Amino acid sequence: MREKHGAWSALFAEKGATLSKYFLRRVAHRWDAQDLVQEVYLRLLRIEPDDAANIRSPEAYLFTVAANLVKEHAVLRQQQPLGSDELEQVVEQLAAPANPEADMDSRLRQERLGALIDRLSPKCKAVLIMHYRDEMSYREIAERMSISTHMVKKYIVKGLAACRQRMADYE
Amino acid sequence: MNDSTQFDAARQARRITEQAVSWYIEQQEPLTERQRVAFLNWLRASPRHVAEYFAVAQMHGDLKAAASLHTLAPDVLAEQAARSNPVVMFPGMENVMREPRVPRKGRARRVAIAFAGVAATVAMAWLGVGHWRAASGRIEQSYVGDAATVRTIDLPDGTLVQLDRGSAIDVHFDGRLRRIEVVRGNALFDVGKDPARPLLVNVGGHVLQDIGTVFDVRRDAGGDTLTVISGRVRVLNAPDASLKGFDIALLGGDAVADLTAGQQISLGTAGVGAKQAAQLAQVTAWLPAEIRFQHETIGNVARRFNAYSSKPLVIENARIAGERISGIFHADNPQAFAAYLATLPDVRVIDEHDRVRIVAASQAETSVAHL
Repeated sequence: MREKHGAWSALFAEKGATLSKYFLRRVAHRWDAQDLVQEVYLRLLRIEPDDAANIRSPEAYLFTVAANLVKEHAVLRQQQPLGSDELEQVVEQLAAPANPEADMDSRLRQERLGALIDRLSPKCKAVLIMHYRDEMSYREIAERMSISTHMVKKYIVKGLAACRQRMADYE
Repeated sequence: MNDSTQFDAARQARRITEQAVSWYIEQQEPLTERQRVAFLNWLRASPRHVAEYFAVAQMHGDLKAAASLHTLAPDVLAEQAARSNPVVMFPGMENVMREPRVPRKGRARRVAIAFAGVAATVAMAWLGVGHWRAASGRIEQSYVGDAATVRTIDLPDGTLVQLDRGSAIDVHFDGRLRRIEVVRGNALFDVGKDPARPLLVNVGGHVLQDIGTVFDVRRDAGGDTLTVISGRVRVLNAPDASLKGFDIALLGGDAVADLTAGQQISLGTAGVGAKQAAQLAQVTAWLPAEIRFQHETIGNVARRFNAYSSKPLVIENARIAGERISGIFHADNPQAFAAYLATLPDVRVIDEHDRVRIVAASQAETSVAHL
């Protein structure tokens, strides 16, 4: 999963998962999440058709737009400009264990998600655990389970969708 | 908001989630140009799509940690998953591989009706019941058949015994020999392979030594009868009625009779009668008309069918044999089961003169290539 992030913008290539976690936590849980989504959405709508065809990775574009909005937002709230060094500090602070609230939040989410995985059908459960815990490829899982790689992917999508649906009930 | 709009909203939310997850997973490979346009259009279609995509990405970040809370090994997970494989019997498939054969007297009609019902309604449920098999070892145990139905006993060495109503067997396994005494009634043995410990079945004064096989023993007022359904069975004279003190050296001694598939003899106090051809349908008429199984391996299901037929289904591929399925088939129709197996991916059915071989399709190609 990591390799696809390699295609992200320079900011994301540098800060990678940490920054996206910070951002995504805000999107999902904080008061400004709706506003951010709305703003990201409006920027997506403003893309000219010609430009749209030239976006090499729409996902990277999406996250870059979002990350820039988070940055702007942080600047506005803190009333002070953030250089790239300061941004790094903010990110490190957020990622450090010194933030018990964020830690608790993520552990609780992980436990809920773990319980949801347990409730999936045996096939979805097996495929998800092998893929995410044991980092087995689709092909390795397919061989282990005597099913096609196509089916492995289907079970992953099905399992993730079921987990996400139920996680949404907590929000 | 009334019920139906609530329902619609929930359905729409589910669809958006599924689309978001699908798109998220698609990104693992570089998107084609067409996919890129479609993805961007999807994002631009609704802010809800954008929000859901972020939510999926966020959840995805927690997946490794969440999945790591589970401790079961991949093999155990795969095993649990395989147990939930359903069998769906298609109507008409029974004819695909059917050979001309004599229908069982008086049962054919009932059977056909039951079969049609099964074909339409086979619906499988998951049960968390593990198929537990002990390591082969010592056993001292008596088994008595149920009052109403044929009882299936799965012994730890892999031997499968079907015990008719009111029948009884005693099982004595130790490190050297596997001994089973047929006390009364009717029992069918499908012998598990354990070359180090011969299986001896005691019927009155006679000992049956199996040589890899399915056979039926009937003890009733009319005398004792042995019928071999597949494989070979050797009949020896026992030194005394019990097997206690039975000398393993006797196994190398002269056989009173050797029986092969389809043969039957009577075992009386006066000795062993003449070998004759058995009416297998009649011999196995006491067995259930249906084979029902849940989360059973294909190998074991094939063995159940083999109890009814002198033309065994031989599962030659270990992966196929180990795959677990659930379903109901008519016992009289192994061809339908073979036809079902042929619909599974990478499975090929080869119908030969004396057996039906189930091989991996890739394996079959390999062997052809060697010819």
